[in-house]
Amino acid sequence: MKRKGLRQFEPLVYLFPALLFFLLFTYYPFIKTVFNSFFLTNFMGVRREFVGPENYIRILQDKDFLAAVKNTFIYVITSVPVSVLIALVLAMVASRKTLCSPVYETMYALPMAMSSSVCAMIFELMYNPSLGILNEILGTNISWLTDSRFTIYAISFISVWMNIGYNFLFLLAAVRNVPSDLIEAATMEGTGPIRLTTRIILPIISPTVFFLIINSLAKSMMMSGLVIILSDGGRSGSASTMISYMYTQSVNAQNYNNGYAAAVVAFIITFALMLLSFGFEKKYVNYD
Amino acid sequence: MEHIANAKAKKDLGKIAFQAAAVLLGVLVLFPVIYCFFVSFMMPNQIQSIPPTIFPKQWTLANYWNVMETTTIGRFMINSLILAGASSVIRLITASFAAFAFAFYEFKGRNVLFMLCLGTVMIPSDVVLVTNYQTISRMGLVNTYIGMMSVFCVSAMNIFMMRQNFLTFSKTLQEAAYVDGCSNIRFFFKILLPTSTPVLTTVFISSFISTWNTYLWPMLVTNNPLMRTVQVGVTMLNNEDGNVYGPIMAASMMVLVPTAMIFLIFRKKIVSGMMGGAIKG
Repeated sequence: MKRKGLRQFEPLVYLFPALLFFLLFTYYPFIKTVFNSFFLTNFMGVRREFVGPENYIRILQDKDFLAAVKNTFIYVITSVPVSVLIALVLAMVASRKTLCSPVYETMYALPMAMSSSVCAMIFELMYNPSLGILNEILGTNISWLTDSRFTIYAISFISVWMNIGYNFLFLLAAVRNVPSDLIEAATMEGTGPIRLTTRIILPIISPTVFFLIINSLAKSMMMSGLVIILSDGGRSGSASTMISYMYTQSVNAQNYNNGYAAAVVAFIITFALMLLSFGFEKKYVNYD
Repeated sequence: MEHIANAKAKKDLGKIAFQAAAVLLGVLVLFPVIYCFFVSFMMPNQIQSIPPTIFPKQWTLANYWNVMETTTIGRFMINSLILAGASSVIRLITASFAAFAFAFYEFKGRNVLFMLCLGTVMIPSDVVLVTNYQTISRMGLVNTYIGMMSVFCVSAMNIFMMRQNFLTFSKTLQEAAYVDGCSNIRFFFKILLPTSTPVLTTVFISSFISTWNTYLWPMLVTNNPLMRTVQVGVTMLNNEDGNVYGPIMAASMMVLVPTAMIFLIFRKKIVSGMMGGAIKG
């Protein structure tokens, strides 16, 4: 009898380490961040005085933060579809298994093993106006990372490149799962490759495409590392994002008032976008 | 007859051309890495020359020597290795125990606790970055390995993946083991874990790569140069003028080669793990 009583607690013992870390480094800081965002804090981030929504009102009037929100959306809008589209093209190219397809499959997938800091370093050299190869190839003379008209897109392209591998692997698996008799029948009728992709394959793989869009949406909304490395710690505001704003306000300026509020706003916008996407899912994604 | 043979030859030629084009496309995709590779072997004066070139005129290891002599990249590597290795091991432990509880036990509140675990996916780690830093700093763990590892010690996706895997494990086998007098914990260590090595490997490899590659958190909780990880270290080489590009590219190669190699070797495992976790999730 006693043994049985003890056994009740056994699974909780196994769960304890995982739950402890979740509580300590996910739930507790999340609740604390939300709570603190309603207080004035000192330079150490310690609560001083309850001020209600004042921090939110301040950052929503701060033109740096509004620029950061706008930039974040530009990153999302430019990087998410482009990365999925490029990956889809690559997946179509690699769709048929051949003797050497493992070679190029691996080549297309490899960018996912790269880190943001290494990518930042490599692209920084490529983007260098005089020493970098990009202007030489394109025959242009653009300071990609310092000319504020181009910075966002230049950084966005890096994250497109970094996401290609991951998206490619999912789309490749999905494309290869499309019943081959469907494709054969369509080819017999003389359907071209583009029509074949948009009319037959895309509807079938739409759940995967949707998953990837949601996934990259969440990642791009949190975009920060590349910006912090490449645009002077995100301080030169032309490329800053919500999270890089949060980071620079808290860590560099020790203005935790703005930092906490920015973190919560970033969370809310991301969360809302996810919910919105699930609404779209019901309408456009085909699970049959 | 000849006509058919000709058509076949044409078709084969077309196939070969397609394969060649696909590989060329791969070269294009990997161009940034290839470029980094070539630049890392260029003489400094060639890197500085205008217009820039892609292929080294004269191959040299000068950039690599430079990085190894003038920076503490060796130490950075060791730091990253400790961070990625240890936190991946801890992740394996926390995830396999939790998955064991979720897959093999019926208990009150199981579903609530499971949702609590999965719910963490909705809270991006960047949002709680600053508050976590304060926790670590209050615990006096800034500039320590434990401080760096702390936030990487558990992952909901890993728990989910392992639970899915354990669920396919036959319950009858567990009952048989139990009847034979095998305690639960013995069953876990002697039977369940050894038969689950594929999923354990997948979890370890993918969390190793992702932790090795993280940038923001390790940078935030270290200010002592000796505690920097490679990812942070490689961006710090960047502070001087343009002629450090050679060493930076050499350092970048040194940082990316380990993860690229692991990825190449374990590609199949990583991919199957990714798909399993995501499609059922």
